Amino acid sequence: MNFILLSVIGSVIILDKYAFGEFGISQPIIAGAIIGALFGDLQTGIFIGAMLQLIFLVGLPIGRDIPPDGQAAGVIGTGSYFLLRVANHAGHALCLALILALISAIIGGALETFVRRHNEKLYHLFMKKQKNLYLYHLFGFIPAFLRSFCLILPIFILANYITIPAQFPQLNKELLTIIGLSVGFANSIYLFLKKTTVVYIITGALCGLALLVF
Amino acid sequence: MRLGFARFLKILFANLFIQTSWSFFSMQSMGFLYSLFAGAKKDQRDEIIKTHKGFFNTHPYMSSYIIGATLRAYDEGNVFPEETRNFITVAQTSFASTGDLLFWQTLRPAMLLIAAILAVKCGVIGPLAFIIAYNVIHLFHRIRGIIDGYQMGRDIIYILKAKRFTMVRHIFEMLGAFFTGLLISLASLEMNYLLLIPITMLFVLLLIRRFPSVLIILAVLLVFAIMVMV
Repeated sequence: MNFILLSVIGSVIILDKYAFGEFGISQPIIAGAIIGALFGDLQTGIFIGAMLQLIFLVGLPIGRDIPPDGQAAGVIGTGSYFLLRVANHAGHALCLALILALISAIIGGALETFVRRHNEKLYHLFMKKQKNLYLYHLFGFIPAFLRSFCLILPIFILANYITIPAQFPQLNKELLTIIGLSVGFANSIYLFLKKTTVVYIITGALCGLALLVF
Repeated sequence: MRLGFARFLKILFANLFIQTSWSFFSMQSMGFLYSLFAGAKKDQRDEIIKTHKGFFNTHPYMSSYIIGATLRAYDEGNVFPEETRNFITVAQTSFASTGDLLFWQTLRPAMLLIAAILAVKCGVIGPLAFIIAYNVIHLFHRIRGIIDGYQMGRDIIYILKAKRFTMVRHIFEMLGAFFTGLLISLASLEMNYLLLIPITMLFVLLLIRRFPSVLIILAVLLVFAIMVMV
């Protein structure tokens, strides 16, 4: 898959979160599945997406607060893994892909603040020419798309051309599961642990242990 | 008073774009006007733009309830700008807090948790189940929001006590809690639990102490770097 086309697809996926609908297709687990399917390795795409999803489970966009961009992390994590894997060992590729995903989530959050400030100009333009509401409102698509594209493209160029040195640490699926699982546990305990729900958590843990053992 | 199917579809489609021009200054103001314009008659538009060009912000899925109710006020013809503005001010806050609590804090994370477990265990069923189930509920609120908002007018605010909010939230709180426990099934018997437990406790502590989410992601990066190096 061409990295430019992949950047366009990734940016369109992220529009779901910031500009159109919020159907949930930009969530890392879905984005991971889509990108995995594009590269013909659905299973790995879903696995990386699921682990990133657990890490970014708590990202509450309440009011003016803009959390780190978990959606960009999902697209960049899975996309750069598949691009890196072409010329590198899978363990190296997974390690670098996760680093890129986490860093891009932080940069993505900052870029989103920038875009939202830029949109203020659209509002002021609308106040001057109120008949052009449709134009100024829908113009918001362009910065939303460019924000993601400018974030994703350089990372995918890097992932497409870089050869990782042999000394670079490797990450296996088990280690990624430990990270995903522990952060996911913490996130879901933070969200769902209450006096009234303790019994359900214990029941779930018992069922989980039964599944694990048998 | 009936809304009409074509008009309903126009509002529903426009409502999907409510966040497109979100800004810190006016938040969803243009998105709100854009949705109102989609359902308003041509002679109502000048009045709408004059009354509602200010600040507007609510939960994106719940905005449809307010849009339906506002359009009803214009169709009835007895629009008092001050009253409509007061209604919108109160409604946007109430629907925002209910929507944030229902969708962002309960329903979506619970469904994503279930999807992640299903994805690791059963593959593509996880993401597919999430997309279908989540959008059934999400679109239900967008669709019913317009219809109920239009039928009930300003009384729409009382719908926040309905079971579609309270009961659904309660159910997904229970499901979220159950699947939190079930997360343990993703581990394997050979896994190093000495790593899993302290890392989990560290992040629980960071979340409970309300550390900024950027710092939490940096902490994930740091823990990850240490684990990989060691």
